[in-house]
Formats: sequence, C-alpha cells, structure tokens
Amino acid sequence: MYGRKACQLVKELASGEKGQLTPFNSDLFEQVVAECTQHHLELQALIRKMQEEGLDVQTTRNAEHHGALIRHLSLVRNKRCLMAYVYNRAETIQSFLWKIGHVLPQEIEEKLCHLEVEYFKKHSAALKSYMSKMQLDLTVDMVPPKDPYIQVRVLDDIGDGIVLSDDKTANFARHSMHFLKRTDAEQFISRGLMEELTG
Amino acid sequence: MASSDAEGLSIPIDDYETLLSTTDVELLKRAWRNEKAAPDILRFETDLIGRIREQIQLMEETAEEKSAAGVDPLSLSLYQMDLDRAQFLLRSYLRIRIQKIEKFVFHIAKTEELWNKLSREEKNFARRCTEDLKQHLEDSVLSKLPENYQSFQKQSVISEEDDMIPEAQLDTFVVCRSKEYLTGIQLEDGPVDDRSMLFEMEPGVLYFICYKSIKALVESGKIDLL
Repeated sequence: MYGRKACQLVKELASGEKGQLTPFNSDLFEQVVAECTQHHLELQALIRKMQEEGLDVQTTRNAEHHGALIRHLSLVRNKRCLMAYVYNRAETIQSFLWKIGHVLPQEIEEKLCHLEVEYFKKHSAALKSYMSKMQLDLTVDMVPPKDPYIQVRVLDDIGDGIVLSDDKTANFARHSMHFLKRTDAEQFISRGLMEELTG
Repeated sequence: MASSDAEGLSIPIDDYETLLSTTDVELLKRAWRNEKAAPDILRFETDLIGRIREQIQLMEETAEEKSAAGVDPLSLSLYQMDLDRAQFLLRSYLRIRIQKIEKFVFHIAKTEELWNKLSREEKNFARRCTEDLKQHLEDSVLSKLPENYQSFQKQSVISEEDDMIPEAQLDTFVVCRSKEYLTGIQLEDGPVDDRSMLFEMEPGVLYFICYKSIKALVESGKIDLL
C-alpha cells in the first residue's frame, strides 16, 4: 500500500514524548525514499506512453493519466512525510540548545543521525554569534528572578577553580552547599549537576 | 528606574508611581508582554532597547560602586534585584523574538513586511538560520528525491505557490485591553454575515479576540496584549 511506510515514520515521530527524540530511523527513511524513486520511474513511464500515443499530456484523461496522477500524489505525500520527519526533529534539536546548552550529552547524540549532529553544531554557532554581537547570554535567566542569590547543593563533582561571574573562584565538591548568583548556578542546574535548595 | 542617593531611596510615593509608568522599564515590560502574547513577530524596539542597555550598564556600575562604598546590604540587594529584573526582561524579550525567528524562519525571510521588523543582528541570525535549515533539509531529504520534487518551498514543480513553508497562526485568540475608546474594528472570524459588523472596544476592559482582527492596532500601540 503506497504511503504506509511514510505514515509509520510520522507515527514514530508523533508517539515519542514531546521534546524527546527517538533514534533516527534510517532504514525506514531509505525505504520511503526508494518508494519515491519507484513512483517517479513509473510516472515518467506513463507520461512517455501518453506522449508516444500522441495524446496531450495536460488535458487527456485516460487510464495512464489517472495512474500518473496517483503516482504523483503518492510521491508528494511521501515527500511531505519525509520533510515533516526531518523538520520536526530539527525543531526538537533547536530546543535542545535552549534546554541543555551547546554540548549534547552522549545519550542524545546517539539518537541523531550524522547530518543532524552537523545541523546542531551550525545552529549553535549561529546562536552564539548572535549572542556575542548582542553581548548577552540568552540561555541564562530563563525564569523570572525571585532572589538574585540562591542556595544550591552540588550533586556531582564539578571540580574546583571554577570562575564565577564576579571573578571569584569556587570549589564545587560533591554535597557541598553554596550561596551563588542565580545566573551562575543556572547552567549547572540545567545540566543536573546542582540542585536549588528551596525553603 | 528610580534614582537613589547613597543614603537610600528617598522619593515620595506619588512621584515614584508617575515616574514608574513612563519609565523605559515600563515600556520594556509592555513590549515584552506584547511580544510574548502575539503569535507573530512584532517590530523591534530599536530605540528602547538601546536606552535600556545603557541604563543597565549604568546600574551595574552604580551597583559596583555602592558595594565598594559599603552601602547597607538591604539597599544594595534591592538595587541588585531591580537590576536583575530589568536584565531578565531584556533577555526574555530578545529570547522570545529569537525563538519566533527559529520557528518561522522561512516565512519571515521571504515576507518583506516581517523581515523589516527584525533588528540588524536578528537579520544576520535569520540569514544563517535559513541557510542552515535549508542545507539540512536538502542534504537529508531533498537531494534524494526525484528532480521535480526537490524544492523546500514547493511540494513539486507543479505547485502554484510556496506550499511547504510553516507560518504563524494568526487566528489564535488573545486577551487584550485598549487604552482608549476604539471603534470600527472588523472581526476576521465567525460567520460571514457577522464580519461586516464593526466592533468597538472600551478603554480598560479585557477582551478575548482573534489576533488577526487587532493585529494592526497592536502594532500601532493602541492595544496591549496580556
């Protein structure tokens, strides 16, 4: 049945959790592309047949025309499914920049195909370029500030000698607690390396 | 932003509130709220943002001076919080716009009206974004498809218009308020007969209306989104 595989690709996309990616299904992807090539060959064959019979391709409505139309529409539908698959994954990849940062953890990078990893790097570079021209880091300060300083506990050994925004150095050993500027702590909290102590 | 001397804040409440309603921070808050609620991208407030950045710089320098001069921690932290809030608004405003550009980059790049609403740096970002995304789509999908189907804008060579570009949904509903009495608003949705009816808005009253109907009024500053 035409379009079934493409439908499966899109369903895979829809069934994943929002903001998460499933591994790039290159097998299925290639199969859909192959189906498109097949459609196109058939389409061209049908059109050639009509031309050989001396019929006007634009206006004749015979069996070949309908066959060609079905091929064309199936091809276009497959294209839409493939584009949707790649485009939606690209949008999720863009969101990683904001949620996670410029370096992707191993478990996420495994799920991306090689082209997607390239795209992430390029997008990250574009954003960095904008932020440096504006001289502002836009990936911090995601939540309206209640207090300028917050208490945090370090969950994983980050190391010592980390330089903070006020040029002081800090030693972030595991389980240690610190009173930091919100904007300094945010990048560690979003990576799960620190937690905020509320109350 | 209220000015304060080394002894602490000493401005009477009435003057403070009047001062507050016309300050750049209020204007930034308003621009930020509008940008957050609008489905489409609005005009970049070049002058306002320029002034805000200068003021934030000034505030940072003043905060450092105060901290060095040994001003009491309470005043200092109030000052710091004010500064943080202004910085948050600025970052959030820019961030919301960048995320809108990311989402609708092809549409913005090809629609002149939208393109002109971007700042110079945003335009550079948008150019790179378009290139990167286009390249990615071409490399992953389009180059593998048969010849007449390789456009990222059209489904195939036969399509009459660019039917593959995502656009912002302008018919989402938004909550808004007008500052003055407005008449002559045409509703863009609903049954066709209703559309010829003109709608009016009273000042200070909240309305829940289709964004398309009030888009021009939001851009001219007569209506605020919430």
